[in-house]
Amino acid sequence: MNLPNVQFTEEQKQFRQEVRSFLKQHIEKGTFETRCDSWLSGSDPSFSKLVAEQGWIGMTWPKQYGGSERSTIDRYILTEEFLAYGAPVAAHWFADRQTGPLLLRFGTDYQKEFFLPKIVKGECFFAIGLSEPNSGSDLASVATRAEKVEGGWIVNGAKTWSSNAHDAHYMVTLIRTEPLGEKKHEGLSQFIIDLKGEGVTIAPIRYLTGEPHFNDVYLDNVFVPDEMVVGTLGNGWKQGLAELAFERSGPERILSTFPLLNEVIEQLKIKRDLAGLEEATKLVAELWSLRNLSIGVAKVLEEGGEVAVPAALVKSIGTKFEQKIPEIIRLLLDVYPNLQSDNRVERYLAESILHAPGFTIRGGTSEVLYGILAKGVIAQ
Amino acid sequence: MSEIKEMVVEVVEKIFKDKVEKETVDLLEENKWAEDIWQLLLENELHHVAVSEEDGGAGGDIEDLLALYELVGKYAAPVPYVEHTLANFLLQQVELKGYEQLTTYSITTPLQLKGDALFGTLKHVGWAQYAKKLVTMAQEGSQQFIVVADLQDAQLKNSTNLAAEPRSEVVFENLKALQKVPVSEKQYDVFKKFVTAASVSKMGGALTTAFQLSVQFSKEREQFGRPIHRFQLVQQHLASMAGEQTLMTVAVNNIRTLLAAGREEREVAYARLRMDDASRTVATSAHQVHAAIGVTHEHRLHQYTRRLWAWRDEEFTARYWKKQLAQQLLETKIDLWESITDQAETHVHA
Ligand SMILES: Cc1cc2nc3c(=O)[nH]c(=O)nc-3n(C[C@H](O)[C@H](O)[C@H](O)COP(=O)(O)OP(=O)(O)OC[C@H]3O[C@@H](n4cnc5c(N)ncnc54)[C@H](O)[C@@H]3O)c2cc1C
Repeated sequence: MNLPNVQFTEEQKQFRQEVRSFLKQHIEKGTFETRCDSWLSGSDPSFSKLVAEQGWIGMTWPKQYGGSERSTIDRYILTEEFLAYGAPVAAHWFADRQTGPLLLRFGTDYQKEFFLPKIVKGECFFAIGLSEPNSGSDLASVATRAEKVEGGWIVNGAKTWSSNAHDAHYMVTLIRTEPLGEKKHEGLSQFIIDLKGEGVTIAPIRYLTGEPHFNDVYLDNVFVPDEMVVGTLGNGWKQGLAELAFERSGPERILSTFPLLNEVIEQLKIKRDLAGLEEATKLVAELWSLRNLSIGVAKVLEEGGEVAVPAALVKSIGTKFEQKIPEIIRLLLDVYPNLQSDNRVERYLAESILHAPGFTIRGGTSEVLYGILAKGVIAQ
Repeated sequence: MSEIKEMVVEVVEKIFKDKVEKETVDLLEENKWAEDIWQLLLENELHHVAVSEEDGGAGGDIEDLLALYELVGKYAAPVPYVEHTLANFLLQQVELKGYEQLTTYSITTPLQLKGDALFGTLKHVGWAQYAKKLVTMAQEGSQQFIVVADLQDAQLKNSTNLAAEPRSEVVFENLKALQKVPVSEKQYDVFKKFVTAASVSKMGGALTTAFQLSVQFSKEREQFGRPIHRFQLVQQHLASMAGEQTLMTVAVNNIRTLLAAGREEREVAYARLRMDDASRTVATSAHQVHAAIGVTHEHRLHQYTRRLWAWRDEEFTARYWKKQLAQQLLETKIDLWESITDQAETHVHA
């Protein structure tokens, strides 16, 4: 696998600076507190609104839908800065990362005109409805089904682990629109479901920290009008795969625990702890090489290339790296992980340890990604 | 090995099995603990294990206690059993009588002693917010003491560890020591080992349950039309967990016997260091095998993994022992191989 080497331009460096000073200013004002894994666990609709005012949601999308037609690399820079400073971006995350690109690629004009401008303004959040209680890794076995009626569909079933559905307005949902036949991947479609609509029940599931980040979503005779079918009926599997490439290769698969690494290096510098810094440097080198990979995938995505396999690679190595950070760091300093601590290292360490198990699961488990990788390597 | 061990282990295991439900452990998160289970342990005199018979105890030794601590981990029992019994066991080592009232200990950082007055701060003291007495170390000049203080008069800042178990910062500002007995450096070293062995035992128990839950889940959960233990990558997780769990069970048994016989030299440190790796591997793989269901609060797995993560950073950590071992290697002329094999001649309890 070969990926392009991307060097940042002067304008891009300037843009990074702009984002950084925005974030620093809001940290100083107390708008938010840095935390690890902020893209999943830091949902704050009012902060999303501030981000929207900067023109930073849907920034790569066409101007006609409120976007600013900036490059994927600019968006990459923005995302990195959000993660590095642990900003609470979870509310608009899925709409910006997944739903927008999905609609731009497969959506109808009506869907684009209706949803994209609202997303850009930070007024419309999406959740992702793929998993079901019995369809985890084996997604093609989803059982949520729809029956055709006049002007639309009646949907029945249940989705689970839907991150942030409690804050979201809509959910892009994978649904069986034809009875399950020999080929499990066929007869699946993507519907946009109004989460405030009739027949929809959202029940929070508490994460192991006790906090609610994801949900069960029950769909009981939910009516979905025809205009909310995304793309081609029966093409849901292929469309979903395209969406996953956006999901798997971003900086959020590398930087979830970065605030911890950053803070620890600061502390080691203050202590002039050379041995500790040597260990920490190894993590920095790993981060550097992973970033190159992830930015390369972003570049190929921008050019419309095929990235399913390298995206799986970024996710499987990147999440392992995110998970390793707290494990190495706790052996470099005498710190006691504590979610309630006033000490930043202690707090970030606790957040990192408790959130880490999810990194190698969400968005496809490492084991399943290894399968994709092996297949891809063999096919070459 | 003491004769009462088997019987006591059986009784305690039965109590925990019957009484410690997932929900009982969850209650810690709301600042409630299993006082009824604690009462049951008291009624059955189980807090008197390893208390000598002259002192009204049931007899037994550190080996028995450590076997029970493993059960505390195995069931994630939300009771201050380790804290209370170990505090009293430490007192017994210097020929002081133990307390019936709930007692805890914290011996990592010595307080300052001026006459009979105690000064200083102790961090992360287990169950201090419920305990009445505290067994701790204090220093006056170059002399160390084991001291007892009344927690009712200390200032407490209550918090919890990663597993929501009660932990407090305790501040001593001119507080009277109820008792004090001088302790040699050698004795203090032994105390450190007891305390470390206690946490290694707890962790061993929690590790075993995390592993067992994973095996069970891998048989029940199906994907792609078959139970997930049929996938080779899942088998790899199961195999490495099995290895770590077996390794640590043997290690824990080993240090228990050595400690009871007063033959321990560096083994507790080795076990503590190795436990860091084992708990990382087991916690990571257990969560990976369970995938999303395992990171929910509703599932039991986190009660064990959160304990593993929390306990490995408490009291005398792997980092502490790593430094100790390195220091020893630096200072003594011992040959590495001799130090690993030659245990019979050293007696640390002397
Ligand atoms: C924090 C978090 C957020 C999430 N957010 C969302 C969301 O917003 N929307 C959504 O739809 N889903 C979401 N998910 C769900 C996630 O995508 C699934 O958990 C994941 O796909 C795994 O499915 P499962 O949990 O059912 O595990 P299972 O598929 O039951 O897997 C159990 C174990 O078996 C292994 N396994 C399964 N099949 C194979 C195989 N063929 N070969 C080798 N090993 C295999 C797995 O790797 C795993 O170790 C989220 C999950 C987490 C943890």
